[in-house]
Amino acid sequence: MLDGTVHTRLYEIKSVKVFSDRSQATPVAARNLAHARKPRKKRMSIVKCNRFILVVSLAAMSLFAACKSDKGSSKHFTIAVVPQGSTHEFWKSIHAGANKASRDLAGLGLEVSVLWKGPLREDDREQQVQVVEGFLSQGINGIVLAPFDRRALVRPVEEAKRAGIPTIVIDSALDSDDVVSFLASDNYHGGELAADLMGKLLAGKGKVLMLRYQEGSASTEAREQGFLEKMKSSYPNIALLSSNQYAGATRDTAKRAAENLLNRYGDQIQGMFTPNESSTAGTLLALEDINKAGKIVFLGFDSSEPFLKAMREGKLQGIVVQNPFRMGEWGVKTMVDHLLGRPVPKKIDTGVQLITPENLDSPESRQLLHPPLDQYLK
Amino acid sequence: MWLRTLGPFAGLGLVVLIFALLTGSPGKYLSISNLRIVLSQTMIVALGAIGMTLIIISGGIDLSVGSNIALTSVVTALALRHSWPPSVALLGGIIVGGLVGLVNGLAITSLRVVPFIATLGMLGIARGAAKWAAGEQTVNVPPTWVNELAVTFPKQRWLIVAPGVWIALLLAIFVAVLLQNTIFGRHVFALGSNEAAARACGIYTARLKLWIYSLAGLFFGLAGVMQLSRLRQGDPTVAVGVELDVIAAVVIGGGSLTGGEGSILGSMVGALIMAFLRNGCQQIGWPNYIQEIIIGGIIVLAVAVDRLRALHASS
Repeated sequence: MLDGTVHTRLYEIKSVKVFSDRSQATPVAARNLAHARKPRKKRMSIVKCNRFILVVSLAAMSLFAACKSDKGSSKHFTIAVVPQGSTHEFWKSIHAGANKASRDLAGLGLEVSVLWKGPLREDDREQQVQVVEGFLSQGINGIVLAPFDRRALVRPVEEAKRAGIPTIVIDSALDSDDVVSFLASDNYHGGELAADLMGKLLAGKGKVLMLRYQEGSASTEAREQGFLEKMKSSYPNIALLSSNQYAGATRDTAKRAAENLLNRYGDQIQGMFTPNESSTAGTLLALEDINKAGKIVFLGFDSSEPFLKAMREGKLQGIVVQNPFRMGEWGVKTMVDHLLGRPVPKKIDTGVQLITPENLDSPESRQLLHPPLDQYLK
Repeated sequence: MWLRTLGPFAGLGLVVLIFALLTGSPGKYLSISNLRIVLSQTMIVALGAIGMTLIIISGGIDLSVGSNIALTSVVTALALRHSWPPSVALLGGIIVGGLVGLVNGLAITSLRVVPFIATLGMLGIARGAAKWAAGEQTVNVPPTWVNELAVTFPKQRWLIVAPGVWIALLLAIFVAVLLQNTIFGRHVFALGSNEAAARACGIYTARLKLWIYSLAGLFFGLAGVMQLSRLRQGDPTVAVGVELDVIAAVVIGGGSLTGGEGSILGSMVGALIMAFLRNGCQQIGWPNYIQEIIIGGIIVLAVAVDRLRALHASS
């Protein structure tokens, strides 16, 4: 059933393509003009002359169109990519990856336009819902979405499907069966990786803190759960002093939360874990301020330039990184596969990796930590 | 009068006392290091509240504070990244804040748009400008002494608290004196109490409003610089909704949204009450929603008590 809708969409887009192509705009306009003038055809020779031009150009056009369809390469897709925000490097990497997919596909003769638009306010579900809804009326072929919330975005995605627009979810899960595919890091495993490193560095005993990110964010919840469960099962002698506090949406809120927590537990703990970029950045600032950075084992998630510096200075003992560039690239390519009627897997793992001061400069880490943003973002 | 000044202090004392007991380790909650943390967390809201007190006393409102902070933090960060001298960058940030305030004032006086709407528009404009200026990403800055302004534990030990806290304190005293003991201050109160009467008395109300919004803008600009210093990067998405914290601080401290009432001292205490509340809830381990409910409750309670007292005084 889904295939049927996709094919109709394909057909529609093909015809839209003919209108939108600049080289053919004149004949099409001429034809429209001709329709309008039909009742007055007896009028003058100029009209006849016009009709002659029209016939010639129509013939030329059909010839041209025939040539094109012989090649079978006139497929054009417009795909909307909707991130949770646009100012963090993580989202920029996804954007760059999506643009790379578009360029790669152009090499294969597929014209894919990527429309990139995030919500205006970066912690607002309602705004993201509106962005998705806005796209539904813009004649797009598919949506690649990184939902804020596993539930709030279900309705717009289901409405999109009803309108014949398929959705692929990246980064963070969505509670809906109506998505074509889900591409994400194995976040639970990422949390486990952090727990294992923590256990190793603390030699299996001590006291640690975990500062959560924000209520309702599926990806970070999975990381937190992975960390907690692995800690409990593999390192029973490590006590978690606090794991129910939230860092909030920004670096500033995270710094405040970390300061307050560290004042209470700072002199008792040997380790700390934070599950995303902003919470890690805020906590790092808080640890530096109270001169505790480097004196405890601090593990974070995601990467940014200050983290790499902190790792070189021994203030951060490890970060779990994802591959947002690949998420963007694979997200768009999977969508195109689906639009072409090829089967795609329901779930795709884009990978997580542990970066420590030891493997910081290895070629694989470099590629992961420094995606070619400039190359693909103009 | 003394009741009025003491009211907010009593509230602050109560909050500190309750949380000191609830955290289970009063020593830690009342320690100097926790005081440093709370003070440096209050700094930004406090600087904003100094400017907002001026505006609210004059019968106005400014909803663009958060966006102004984001814009000025980005501007200062960009200036620092283009290796301008830190003092020039800092001044530049403050002046941009003042300019935003001036534009607000012009919209209110020349275009005759009510303050609520004029600054609501600026909330969007300044936020957008910040994102545009920053190229939709965070602006990292090279280490300079600007970064030390808001550090919780200053390098110079004799400072005890962050330099920014001292700056905020000095400015608070300056503006308090300005409001109480100068003609300008009396004019601000007159404007807020009864604008028509103030005009009839020969006060150039339009010019006065321009001054008030511009001056307040300078404070919001300084708050933006402090925000940059705290995060060590200019973030165009920072400080969303800070204006509400700032307004709440002024209102808890006895400011009246109908104008003519308010004090710098009260606003500072109001800002401290909220910071101590957040800090305390976190250290007890209460979830966020409890903090939100409590702070909301306190705002309404503070204003209700204030109204009752005013009623009592007039009868």
